[in-house]
Amino acid sequence: MSKNIIEVKNISKSFTISAKTPGLKGTLRHFLNRKTIEKKVVKNINFEIQEGEIVGFLGANGAGKTTILKILCGLLYPTAGFISVAGSRPFERDKSFLEKITLIMGQKQQLIWDIPPIDSFYLNAAIYGIEKKEAMKRIKNLSEMLEIDSELYLPVRKLSLGQRMKAELLASLIHNPSILFLDEPTLGLDINAQANLRKFLQIYNKQTGATILLTSHYMKDITYLCRRVICIHEGYITYDGKLKNLLTKLSPNKDISIICKSSKDIDNLKKLNLEIKNINDNQITFTINKLDFKNTLKNILSKFEIEDLHINEPPIDEVIGKILINKKIK
Amino acid sequence: MNIKKYLKVYYYFNYSSFSIELEYKINLFIDLVTSILGLIGSVFLLSIFFSNTNEIAGWTFNQALIIQGIYTILNGVTNTWFNPNLKEIVKHIREGTLDYVLLKPIDSQFWISFNKIAPTGLIEIVLGVFVLSYCFYLNDISFSISSLIFLIITLICSVSILYSLWFLISTTTIWFVKTWNATEVLRSFLYMGRFPMDSFSLSLRIFFSTVIPITFITTIPSEVLLGLSPEWKIILEVFVATTFLIISRRFWKFALRFYTSASS
Amino acid sequence: MKNLSLYKLSTLFKTQYANMLEYRAEIALWAISGVIPFFMLNIWTNNGLNESINISNVMLSRYFLSAFFVRQFSVVWVVFTFEEDALLGRVSPYIIQPLHPFIRYFAQHIAEQITRFPFALFIAILFFIFNPQSVWIPSLLTIIISIFSTFFSFLIQFLMQSIIASFCFWTEKASSIEKLLFIPTLFLSGLLAPVASFPYYVKTWIYFTPFPYLIDFPATILSGNQTKIIEGILMQLLWIILFFFIFNKVWKSGTKKFTAMGL
Repeated sequence: MSKNIIEVKNISKSFTISAKTPGLKGTLRHFLNRKTIEKKVVKNINFEIQEGEIVGFLGANGAGKTTILKILCGLLYPTAGFISVAGSRPFERDKSFLEKITLIMGQKQQLIWDIPPIDSFYLNAAIYGIEKKEAMKRIKNLSEMLEIDSELYLPVRKLSLGQRMKAELLASLIHNPSILFLDEPTLGLDINAQANLRKFLQIYNKQTGATILLTSHYMKDITYLCRRVICIHEGYITYDGKLKNLLTKLSPNKDISIICKSSKDIDNLKKLNLEIKNINDNQITFTINKLDFKNTLKNILSKFEIEDLHINEPPIDEVIGKILINKKIK
Repeated sequence: MNIKKYLKVYYYFNYSSFSIELEYKINLFIDLVTSILGLIGSVFLLSIFFSNTNEIAGWTFNQALIIQGIYTILNGVTNTWFNPNLKEIVKHIREGTLDYVLLKPIDSQFWISFNKIAPTGLIEIVLGVFVLSYCFYLNDISFSISSLIFLIITLICSVSILYSLWFLISTTTIWFVKTWNATEVLRSFLYMGRFPMDSFSLSLRIFFSTVIPITFITTIPSEVLLGLSPEWKIILEVFVATTFLIISRRFWKFALRFYTSASS
Repeated sequence: MKNLSLYKLSTLFKTQYANMLEYRAEIALWAISGVIPFFMLNIWTNNGLNESINISNVMLSRYFLSAFFVRQFSVVWVVFTFEEDALLGRVSPYIIQPLHPFIRYFAQHIAEQITRFPFALFIAILFFIFNPQSVWIPSLLTIIISIFSTFFSFLIQFLMQSIIASFCFWTEKASSIEKLLFIPTLFLSGLLAPVASFPYYVKTWIYFTPFPYLIDFPATILSGNQTKIIEGILMQLLWIILFFFIFNKVWKSGTKKFTAMGL
């Protein structure tokens, strides 16, 4: 049984912001009498993550995902609660902890702009105490996995965005971290680059058993990589469990469109007592619960002669979009 | 504290900075001309002060030149090591990449202070050394081992004080992001380091010995060279330098605590 | 039509002023960084150096205070703003707007001067508290003439820097060139020492350059020491016309290159 590598108990985080009204009057008033508001961004959350899991954090902008991620890697310290990551308290940022983790932020790079990535790699290797020979081995291994080679010897500013992302990944992984934190890693990448990143993360997880936590707006990231999702809304966790179950909960239905030979068939089909989505000439669309789907389909096919049929699931984005808008999911 | 690791990382910092800078050779030329012009202008100003008198506050023109030489060297040090890193931290704060620095298993103050160097500043250091050498000849200075040692000690202290002042300003980036103005204020005060402290009135002398300790940065090392400095001044300078270094470190830690509790 | 351009300009000024108010702290710091003249004054008077150039302590104090004010209201930084805009790609949208980009920067500078005024005044009051013997109130006419002269000094420096800023179309080193040219400006303009104190061999050629008209000339008007006012103002106007002409040429050629080849 895998042990828990991350434990979060009753964690809350508040920020104090100054309240100011715009315009000249507001500025003067603010200058004389500073008012502050306390904004609670993370409210009493609990979860545990086991070694080797890939977990996705889902939520609208400002829900608190990035804040939680930053608390987990030690960049922010919580206002209340207990947290343990890889056996350490993250906000102490002690050396052994830092050597086990890595943070990758979309659109923010750590590579030095004017020199080739390879030089940044050796710098990182020195920082993490990796001997040059060993570093060269790891660079070779990772660059094969990432399918990047000669680009590593060009200055970063000369690389395309996709190549830069691969180089950034390499730089972040040279010290073989056991926990990867990714904050919107596919932001700004084109479709191919996004797909490459996902594939790589999955392979990396399989090969090294590293724990991966990511936040993303792109549903494909979550659905491809994460078996488990944690949904955050206004600082609360609204769902923590298998993605499959979440989707079933939120979208229990499939649509089936049947193209009939004649309108008489349509009338007969209408009598089936199924929920009708719409009717168009010779085409009728039903919405059927996923659990009843197989039986219903068998029923239709056995009793009716049909020209053609389409099966449609509402796109996952739509489903997950519902989560982002609605509140707690029962 | 693994010294070997920090030395290695420092090597890579320099290596990357050099390879960037050497792409822009024209920089070297412009910086050389700028340093020379700055020196000429300041000496011109000095000569105006001395145009009708041989001595100001106990310093002759030739002796005052020593201060100009030391200032030039220290200005070169500032432009080589302190300025480029100030620009870097502003960039980090602006682009949100300070997080990467904090998550590396290496002291963040070390990173922020030594990450970049601007090799073109080295030219100004060389220029200052030339001026200083010329001053040795002008002032007929004889060398003893002890004066050399004291000079090195005071110069190290001067560099430490300068470093602390610049680093304090760099740290304020965490709150203000734009530090050009604070930098300009520091620069304009430091410019007074080109002149002997004794030429200022008492109240300013006090100011320049405590708040912006220019006395310790340029005047005392010059006095050491001329053999005019009593031992207690040197000890005082070491004390001041250590104090400033400690303050800069404490302030940095304080700023980081703020940063890690406030950024969202 | 005239109403429209007036409206454009006034809106521009208002926005820039609101912008500047946000940067009060920075602007206050800028004002403080202008204190070098006071330190110079201290060296002069503390060591009695001014006796040899026949200027009394009081007159010298007034000169340096005036120099401080003139500097506060004529300092220009357009090359740094323009270079940053050019690097960040903001020049393109500015060029296709029906407003010369440099008018935008001009408005920015004027707005900042207005914002800066209270801080400069505060520093002047502090100065008078520490130097009560130097207190003087110039006549209204003197004040008006010095305001004009300071404004002309500002125009000269603004145009000079704008010409250098236009070099951004050809090189990345425009701000370094400015830093280079700043040095003669600093020393020859009278900010650190009045031109009256310069050696004879410098005084022979310096009035053929724009430098003494940047600080020394307006400051001596304000402090009551200037005799050749009309000649000086005419020289300032001459330099303005000359630099304006050069700027237009350089700008046209720069935008031509920009629209043909990009930066």
